[in-house]
Order: sequence, then structure tokens, then C-alpha cells
Amino acid sequence: MSQATEMMNCEDYKQALTTDPELGNESGHADTCAECAQYRAEILALDMKIAAAMELSVPELKMPELPELDTAHVVSLSARRSLSKPAWFALAASVLLAVVVGSRFTDPGMEETFGTLEQQVLAHVDHEPMALLPSSTPVSDSRLANAVPNRIATMNRGIGLITFAEFCSINGKDVPHLVIQGERGPITILLMPHEKVAEATTFDGVNIRGVILPVGDGSIAIIGDREEPLEEVQQNVLDSVMWST
Amino acid sequence: MNSNGATGNRRKRFDRLVAVFHGDMFRYAAWLCRDKSIAEDVVQEAMLRAWKSLDALREDSAAKHWLLTIVRRENARYFERRRLETVDIDNLTPSQSALLAEAPNEELDDLREAIFELEDDYREPLVLQVLMGYSTNEIAEHMGLNQGAVLTRLHRARLKLKDITANEVSS
Repeated sequence: MSQATEMMNCEDYKQALTTDPELGNESGHADTCAECAQYRAEILALDMKIAAAMELSVPELKMPELPELDTAHVVSLSARRSLSKPAWFALAASVLLAVVVGSRFTDPGMEETFGTLEQQVLAHVDHEPMALLPSSTPVSDSRLANAVPNRIATMNRGIGLITFAEFCSINGKDVPHLVIQGERGPITILLMPHEKVAEATTFDGVNIRGVILPVGDGSIAIIGDREEPLEEVQQNVLDSVMWST
Repeated sequence: MNSNGATGNRRKRFDRLVAVFHGDMFRYAAWLCRDKSIAEDVVQEAMLRAWKSLDALREDSAAKHWLLTIVRRENARYFERRRLETVDIDNLTPSQSALLAEAPNEELDDLREAIFELEDDYREPLVLQVLMGYSTNEIAEHMGLNQGAVLTRLHRARLKLKDITANEVSS
């Protein structure tokens, strides 16, 4: 860092200092410039005062009444994780296979290898926990367009507050992965245009529940908090998404 | 592991995380909403939500970031629900005044008031950097901004506070 600040002019150095006063602890530009050394001292002093002014007395921790979590009739976390890992390795293997063979036809034995679609959906959600952080920041239009390319589907923002959008792969097939913010927390939506299912299937995990809906020649998985009113979300999703093929 | 054992371990993990990070959760919430009573409500809601989604947290080393993200979301939800008006510094509630009256210190009182009056967009990254020790990269990720926007906000926030403190010295 010191080399970087040595090459700065006074204006750049002062600006850098006001964005990150830690720079002031490095040797560099200010060592050879009296004016900037003075400025550095002022900013460091200011930051110490800011830190002191921001300190607050913290009230005693009052633990809220935590609800009992129903773990008796759902797949346990350890069970979920034990199935996630092989499912993920199988998933990675499927991608490799798809690259090597260069084809995307469906292998009849694939379901046996990867587990059911519900298990793969759970494994995929489990694999990207950062996607499930609560957020109030919508993804940009460009990120959304990359995650949901027009060749797969068209959709509008009526689906909800979209805070995560990635282009993923399940079973070697392209799957836009979205997260919207629901009443009870983040809701995962996987658009699976090539995964045809005969009927709606529901499934449970620890604290979560999900549904895979048949939509044309594909399906859409929606997974949220156990208490999330998913039925309302389903309608929004169905109204907002249209396959391109 | 049976269900009771798993639940017990989950509860122990939660208690440990909350004990460590409750202070940061409260300080962050208080500076977000600028009201100590509301901050306590926000933290209570955030703890409930964290408890329900604890399984989404894979590594405890990421707990601080995870919990503060939940606090941020709960604060936004609180204000969405209440649709509270912006704070008028000349017409504060007792709970808002309590934040300014923290540890009376003539030199710091004016600075605390200046921080209180900073626009949300400027105050939040400053709190994350100075109080929570976040890097500018982490602030950008946390707030969903690009790093350039974070640098600009931090720069402007400090210049405002520097001007205010300089004016006080000269007056």
C-alpha cells in the first residue's frame, strides 16, 4: 500500500485518506509531504472522535421467545447435508460429462445417479447459502438478464423483490436461480424449462418447504420458510414467467 | 443424532452467536434507525429471524456479516410497516434523544449530533467501517453497491463531519 500512496499526488492522497483512514498508518506519500502529513493527522484524529461518538451503551441481552422448530417430520439437517454432498458431486460430474460428450440428451439412468428432482433442488439451495441472506437490494437489470436469458424465459419484476439472480445448472441443464424476499424471508425460485413433471410435488426440509410446479414442458421450484404463504408466491411466479421454447 | 440433541446443539450455537454479536447488532441497528427503542425491537426481530434460518449459516466465521445483514433487512421491514417520517432533529422523541445523550461529553456531543444528522446513505457506510470494522469491499457487498459508490459516500461523510468539527473549533 505504501508504494501505491507514494505515487499519489496530494489531492488523490487526501481523497484516499477520507475513504479509508487506515492508509494513514502506512508509510508513503505523507512521509515526504508536510501538508499531507498534517491532513493525515487531522483525519486520524477525526476518526478516533467519530468512533468514540458512535459508541453506545448496549442494553442487556433479552432473548426473544424462540419458537419450537418442528424437526420430527422433516428431513433432518444432517440427513440433508449427507445427501447434498454426493448430489453436488454428481451434479459437477454431470456438467463435466456434458462438456466432454457435448450433448444434452437425457440419460435414463441419470435420475438414479442424482436422486430425485426434489433432492437435487434441495441440494442446490443448500449449496448456495449466501443466496439466502435477507436483503432489500434488488439485483440490477443486467444481472437479471444474464441469469434469465431470453432464450430460456421471459419474465417481469412482478415476481417480487429479486435480490439474487444467477445462471446455474441442475442435472446438466440450464437453470435460472432467483431469490425474492417473501413475508417470512428469502424465497428461492428455480426455473427449470427442461425438467418436465407430471404434477405439483411438495417437499419439506428443516424450516423450509417447497413445491415443484409443472409449467408447460418444464417446471418451476419454489422454496421458502415453512410459514411462508407460498401459494400467493406461486401465482405471482406463474403470472410473471413465460418459457421461450 | 436424535431430534432433541440436534435441537439442543442448535440452541447452543444460537446462544453463543447472539452473546458475541448482540452488541454489534444493537449499535448497528441504533445508528440505522437513530432510535434506541426501535433498535431494540429491530434486534429482537432479527434474532427471531436468525433463529429460524440458522441452518442457512454454514460457517460461524461469517456470522457477524450474516447477522448484520438480517438487522439491515429487519430495519427496512420495520420502517416499511410503520412508514415513519424522517427524523427532525429539533423535534425528537425521548428515545431518539437518548441516542444523542449517550455518555455526555461536550466535545463529542456535537459530533454525535452531526453523525445523527448525516443522510442515511452516508451514515451507514461510515458506521460499518468505523464501528464494525468492515472493509470498503465488504461494505459494498453488504449494501449492494459498487465499491466506487462506497468510497464516494465515505469521502463525503468524513468531509461533512470534518467541516462541522472545524467550524466548531473556529467558532
